[in-house]
Amino acid sequence: MSSLAVMSTLIRRELRTAARTRGYYLLGVVVAGTLLGLTVGGGGAATGYIPTVVDLLLPLEVLVPAVAVAIGYRAIPSDLGRGEVAMLNTYAVSPSAYVGAVYLGRAAVLSAIVGVALFVVGLVVAVAAAPDTGVFATHSGVDSPILFGRFLVVTLLFGNAVVAVVLLASIAVASTRTAIVAAIGAVLVVVVGGEAAILLGVLDGVFSEATLRLALGFVPNSAYRGLVFETVVGVLSAGASGYASPLVSVAGLLLWTGGSLGAAVGLLRWRIE
Amino acid sequence: MTNFDSTDSQQHHATGDGATTVVTTTGLTKAYGDRPIFDDVDLDIAAGAMTAVIGPNGIGKTTLLKTLLGHVDPTAGTVTYTGPDVDRPMGYLPQEPAFRPQFTVSETVDFYASLVDAVVDTEELLCEVNLYEARNRRVSALSGGMRRLLAVGQAVLGTPPVVCCDEPASGLDPSMARQVFESLARRAADGMAVVVASHTLSLVETYADHVVILKSGGVAAAGAPTDLIERYDAADLWAVYDAAIDPAADDGSATTVGAPRRGDKPTDQDTAVFGGPTDSGGDR
Repeated sequence: MSSLAVMSTLIRRELRTAARTRGYYLLGVVVAGTLLGLTVGGGGAATGYIPTVVDLLLPLEVLVPAVAVAIGYRAIPSDLGRGEVAMLNTYAVSPSAYVGAVYLGRAAVLSAIVGVALFVVGLVVAVAAAPDTGVFATHSGVDSPILFGRFLVVTLLFGNAVVAVVLLASIAVASTRTAIVAAIGAVLVVVVGGEAAILLGVLDGVFSEATLRLALGFVPNSAYRGLVFETVVGVLSAGASGYASPLVSVAGLLLWTGGSLGAAVGLLRWRIE
Repeated sequence: MTNFDSTDSQQHHATGDGATTVVTTTGLTKAYGDRPIFDDVDLDIAAGAMTAVIGPNGIGKTTLLKTLLGHVDPTAGTVTYTGPDVDRPMGYLPQEPAFRPQFTVSETVDFYASLVDAVVDTEELLCEVNLYEARNRRVSALSGGMRRLLAVGQAVLGTPPVVCCDEPASGLDPSMARQVFESLARRAADGMAVVVASHTLSLVETYADHVVILKSGGVAAAGAPTDLIERYDAADLWAVYDAAIDPAADDGSATTVGAPRRGDKPTDQDTAVFGGPTDSGGDR
């Protein structure tokens, strides 16, 4: 059986599992409700897309990792606990295909939950905001749904990187109960620890301006924030904001995703063999 | 993800009684830190036969099965698969099997069936494990016994040359337990090498072609149930088990005349060959 066929079968199973998990629908409603509440309450809906992005950026830095933990922490530990990984081990299913499929399935769930919520927020802004937000093509200086679309894409890139970190952390522990602690701990270490390390580095004079921009790109939250400032919010102001390098930030998020998944495959292989 | 030495995968070995060996262990030893589980176990698993591993709780039956499957690395020794070169050489029924609760019985079987190259008649398989009537029921609504039956079906999917079943009758009513053993025995009769770890000695005595009794340190005794009963001059496998595991506690329900003594060598009838600390043949 080809690896592609195995992968496709495993991904279908992940998506069907997610589609039949009622909790995810509830989570989607809560996330959409929260974002809509913040949008309307913060006044962004009446003002435009960029003010909405500014209103939502900080809450999303907390909300997206929380969603990633909720949908990712028990996926692999549950399969391990049920003996399903041991059973799959007797089929032509490699650890990389298994971890990859679980990741893609959970990333799709996060993308659906956060993506739909932000799409709804975008629709509300389109209906409620001032008329000059309907511009689709511009080089800079005008609020636009395209900018909000970029915000959505960057948010999903950030969220899917955190899902990979959560999967890695969940494999490192023995049970589903401890997996949630490990997942939350890993996210806190990566998010809070990374930013705290940068802050200390700045205070100690370790970072120059150039190395600081590089370092910011390799902490997921900073990379996300930098990408939003540079590719969404910064477009409204003349010139680049200089907060972070978009390329380094994208590379940082992809590195967190790939590195975490690679480590997860290695860890799973070590656990089952 | 199977990890065992299959360098000799096309070379079928023959046991002394003419059966084809599909898995051979040589000097198989497992210890967790300073705690030995089993030591120097040499074992030939024959195709077309049911091999039962019995022994007290915590003695290492599950670890032995997992080592055969390649899920646990031995501390020393090798496991060599010599069966046919197929995508799925070994099936596995874990001790406490469970499946994703969101799926029905049919969907679960279909999922695993889609991972093997062979065409699988899932309805026939569900009939075989007595789950056809429950085929549209969610896994979350199954009893523990029914989940085990589902796991039995999963283990034999695609007819792997070897299937390792950890406590296949655990949690099942007597009739269902018998049915599971009958099903596995039929598979063995069709050429599959069936390895079961079980505490249900009456079923083992009835259906197993070969019994390996594990005790602390390794193999206490091995052979066909009738041979063991004859060798231990016992009434049944229960009495053999008592005598082999703890001869001092033997209450006389089986005489120990004919039982192996320290230093005894395994008989020619044994397909399990044991050496080192287990050389005594069990009376330790």
